Amino acid sequence: MAGFIDLYTEGNSFLHRMDPRVKIASVLLLSVLGFLLTRLYSLLLLLGLIFLLLFLARAGLGKTTLALKALLRVMILIVALWPIFDPSGTPVLASLGPVKITEPALWRGVTSAVRVGCLATVWYILMLTTSQRDMVRALVKLGLRFDFGLALSISLRFLPTFGLTIESIKDAQRARGLELDRGGVMRRARNYVAVLVPTIVSALRTAETLSLALQSRAYGARADRTYLHDLSMRRSDAVAIAAVVMILVVPAVMKYLLGYEL
Amino acid sequence: MIPRPLTDRGERVISIRDIKFTYENGPEALRGVNLDIRSGEYVALVGGNGSGKTTLAKHMNGLLRPSSGSVEVMGKPALDRTVAELSRIVGYAFQNPDHQLFCSTVDDELAFGPRNLKCPPEEVTRRVEFALDIMNLRDVRGEPPLSLSLGERRKVSLGSVIAMDPKVLILDEPTMGLDAVQSRELMATIRKLNDDGHTIILITHEMKLVAEHADRVIMMASGRTMLDADAKGAFTDLAILERCKLVPPPVSKLAHRLVERGVSKDILSPEELVFELMRLRGGP
Repeated sequence: MAGFIDLYTEGNSFLHRMDPRVKIASVLLLSVLGFLLTRLYSLLLLLGLIFLLLFLARAGLGKTTLALKALLRVMILIVALWPIFDPSGTPVLASLGPVKITEPALWRGVTSAVRVGCLATVWYILMLTTSQRDMVRALVKLGLRFDFGLALSISLRFLPTFGLTIESIKDAQRARGLELDRGGVMRRARNYVAVLVPTIVSALRTAETLSLALQSRAYGARADRTYLHDLSMRRSDAVAIAAVVMILVVPAVMKYLLGYEL
Repeated sequence: MIPRPLTDRGERVISIRDIKFTYENGPEALRGVNLDIRSGEYVALVGGNGSGKTTLAKHMNGLLRPSSGSVEVMGKPALDRTVAELSRIVGYAFQNPDHQLFCSTVDDELAFGPRNLKCPPEEVTRRVEFALDIMNLRDVRGEPPLSLSLGERRKVSLGSVIAMDPKVLILDEPTMGLDAVQSRELMATIRKLNDDGHTIILITHEMKLVAEHADRVIMMASGRTMLDADAKGAFTDLAILERCKLVPPPVSKLAHRLVERGVSKDILSPEELVFELMRLRGGP
């Protein structure tokens, strides 16, 4: 379970070393590009580029295979469902009662599926190569209040611990004869109260202890706090962001100023 | 010490045969454990952190299922039965009482288990009253359990398991976080339950409690049982204790120091030590 909460995988690729702010900006820009492109071949080109990045990130095979399999399922679902809700265009390939499947709609389905593939994969690369700590650091550097950043990273840090607590609570209640998966929806919902209440209580107790622990280590003693790890842009980061901006600007200019269909 | 002959003990309630267990993405937690728990026994299950005590105990009520080997409860395979079915026979009080408590009154909390077992209302009431009495919770029966002190919360959590009237009671570190008085009181209650015929399996780090209460000690280290003996002889081999990351109870340590003077190694209580010393001096 913990593996799904944190996709980050240790590594030393150039994407791992890149300033997280640059990575977040690049991912946003590439996402914009994903929406800007409408032709299938240009989206396939983008997907190729993104997969090249994934390859360069030296993604751990296990996690990535699992993620890509899930993504592929979503993409197939989009291709399968699109023509059913979009019956416009000719020629009609097949029809069953009011449902028509047309060739252009099928292609539109494929295009959308590839677009979703691009977006999902590019965000996956960000998650894969950026530790939660770096992500929060970047957000704080970009203007998020430090308190919120800290709260965010503490929440992320405690998610796996919390998962274990919930498992233990479930076991404790099952040992008292509770059958969580039996009965109708209402009955099951009622059963889960026995898990939910101890979970919330335990979360509140943890939060209280944690806040005392933070205070006893002088959290918030100075308003102008200093940082042990500071982010700094290097030349490679500047080059990377410039490259990504170009990758976005060139097609944008071609599309909106020169009128090319991309 | 000569172990009591098997016929002296009660029927077999739990039989564990060569069970192995590995947690998902984890190391092998049990590496072939064999043991029988007999009716009416007071067993202490001890060992260092991560030795497999809790993992083993969770096999006894079906919360965990072995990767190989078999578990029988009351002569029938546990595998065919759900945790809920097994909970009629094997009660399990978890280490952290806050993982069990959720009702708005102590009464409701105690009634939760018996209701899950589909007991008729008058039987539920009878069992709640019984648990209130034995755990001495009558004064707080209307209070929300989560607002009680840790000692009381532990009593409620234990009471909620006792109300299910199980033959076997597994207690996972029941005295953790309790002061000396609360701890003594709780142990006296557990003794009483054992005297009434309940089989007790006590998981603990406190060897003093083991020496005072248990009839039988099972010591574990890295997923195996290192020793399974009557309490009388459990603390005589210091090498095994060390391998199980255990330290003998203080009085037993003292006896070990006095071995050269003729004191027996299997002393478990101050009274025994006094008698032993008097014997060595030649009568009272």
